[in-house]
Amino acid sequence: MKRSRRVALTMMGTATIGAVSMGFARRRNCGPGETAVAGIDGRPYCRGVAYGGFGGTLHHFHGHGHGHGGGHGHGHGGGHGHAGGGG
Amino acid sequence: MATAAATGMQAAADSAHDPEKWEPVFRQDHAQNLSMQRIVCPERDDWRDTAETSGFDFHTIDGERYWDERGYYAFTLEEIERQIEAPTGEIDAMCLELVGKVVGSEDYLGRLKIPESFWPLIAQSWERDEGSLYGRLDLSFDGHGPAKLLEYNADTPTSIFEAAVFQWGWLEQSIERRIIPKHADQFNSIHERLIEAWKKLSAAHDADPQGRVSAKGEPVFRTSHAPDDKPGRTGDRALVHLHLTGTTENSEDFGTLAYLEDTAIQAGLATTLIDIEDIGWRDDGGFVDLDNRDITFAFKLYPWEWMFRDAFGARLAEAPTRWIEPPWKAVLSNKGILPLLWEMFPGHPNLLPAYFEDDARAEGLGASYVRKPIYSREGANVALVSGGVALAQQEGPYGGEGFIRQAFAPLRNFSGQYPVLGSWLVDHTPCGLSIREDESPITGNNSRFLPHAIL
Repeated sequence: MKRSRRVALTMMGTATIGAVSMGFARRRNCGPGETAVAGIDGRPYCRGVAYGGFGGTLHHFHGHGHGHGGGHGHGHGGGHGHAGGGG
Repeated sequence: MATAAATGMQAAADSAHDPEKWEPVFRQDHAQNLSMQRIVCPERDDWRDTAETSGFDFHTIDGERYWDERGYYAFTLEEIERQIEAPTGEIDAMCLELVGKVVGSEDYLGRLKIPESFWPLIAQSWERDEGSLYGRLDLSFDGHGPAKLLEYNADTPTSIFEAAVFQWGWLEQSIERRIIPKHADQFNSIHERLIEAWKKLSAAHDADPQGRVSAKGEPVFRTSHAPDDKPGRTGDRALVHLHLTGTTENSEDFGTLAYLEDTAIQAGLATTLIDIEDIGWRDDGGFVDLDNRDITFAFKLYPWEWMFRDAFGARLAEAPTRWIEPPWKAVLSNKGILPLLWEMFPGHPNLLPAYFEDDARAEGLGASYVRKPIYSREGANVALVSGGVALAQQEGPYGGEGFIRQAFAPLRNFSGQYPVLGSWLVDHTPCGLSIREDESPITGNNSRFLPHAIL
C-alpha cells in the first residue's frame, strides 16, 4: 500500500499568515516601487524594484564591519569592509 | 555515489524496464479498463477555508484556480509501482551516474554552460557526497506506455506543500464524504520522508561540520563567530541550526519555505527563515543572518544559476555553508542533461531522444520536436515545433545559454486537458505524485494542480 500516515503540521498555518495579506490581484498590478518578475516556478509575482537577490543589497551590514550608522543592522549603501552588492 | 547509482540503475533496468515484461501488464489493465483515468467529482464545499487555514493561500492565482479538485486522476497500484515509482528511482540513479561523469569533465561542464569559476564548488560538493533533500521528475505518462522524462526539477522544485499535505487532506476528507471510494489510496509519503531526510542531513552535517575546505585549501569552521561568542555550533549538539532562504516576497516560495521549515522543526532542527537578500557576509568570511548568526547549514529555494550570477556568488567557494540542495544539483537542474542522458543511455524506455541544438544529430529528430532553453523553468521559452513551425510557445526570459531539442512526447488528452506527472523523490526515494494539467500541451505557469488517487 502507498498510503501515507496522517501528516501533522506544527507551524505552517501560522507561518504563512503574513503571506495571505499579499493577495493575488497585485501580481499583475504591482504597487509603487514594485515590478512583476518571474519566480522560480515561472509565475510572475511583485517584487521591489531594488531587490538585489543573493548579496545584492548594500544596506545590510552584518558581522563585524563598519557600515554607516554602525556596524550592525541597517545603514545606507557603501559600507566599508562588507561584501554587499558589489561583493 | 555514482557506483551505487550505476548498480541500482542496472538492477532496475534488468527487472523493471524490459518492454517484453511490461506488455502483459498493459493488456491486463486495458482489459479491465483500469489504467490512468481522469474522473470528474464534486469539490469539497469548504476546501478554500481549509486551504487558507493550513497556509495554502496560493490556491487561486490571478483569480484562476491553481488547486482544482473538480476532478482527480486515478491509477492502479500496478501503474504506480511499476510505471511511476520504479522508473522514477531508475531515472534518478541514471542522473546520479551522469553527475559523476559531468563533474570530472570540462567538456560536459562546458556543454552545460555552467560558469567555469563554479566547477570546483560543484565537484567538491559531489566528492564530499553532500546530501540532497528532494527533487521532482516531470513525466509524460498516458497509461499506454512507459513514462517519459520531460525534465528534472532537481534544484528548486515547488508545489511540495500541495503535493505532500493538501492533496493528502483531500484524500482523507473525500473518502469521509464519499466523494471517492473508501478504498482509495494515494502515492504519498512525502511528508514523513522529508522529516526523516532532515534528520539524516542534519546528522551528517553535525558529524562533519568542519569538513568543508575553503577554496584556498584551508579547513573552515575553525573558529566561532556567534554573537555571544559561544562555540558557533558545538555548544548545543542537540539542535543543528538550519537557515531556509529564498524570495520570501513570493507567496508560493514563502509557503514552500514555511512548509519545509515545519518539517525541519519536526525533525528536531532549530530554524531561521530569511530572505536571500538579507543574507550578509562577515569580514573574516562566511554568510550570516540578520542576527549575525553564522549560516552553516542552509536550505535555499533559489536556483543555483541565480546564486552563481548574483553578487555573493563569488563568495560561495570560500564560505563554509553546507547548502541544500547541494551545488552538484546545478548539473541536474540544467536541461542539457536531457541530451547527455540520451547519450549515456540511448534507447532507454523512460528517456526521449534529445540533442543539443548545435549537435548535427538534432536534425535527426526531424521537423517536429520540443525546443527547450538549457536554463528554463516551468515551461518558460519552451516551444513545441511541428513541421518546422512553432505551434505553441511559452513566453519567458530564458534561452541566452542555448537550447536543446527533445523528441515530442504527446501528452494524452483527457477531456481537453493535458496532464504532466510530477514524481517526487525525497533523499532519492520515490515517494509521491503530483499532477499538473493544462489546456495547452506545454505545461506552463497557468496549469492547475489536481489530486490523484489509487483505485
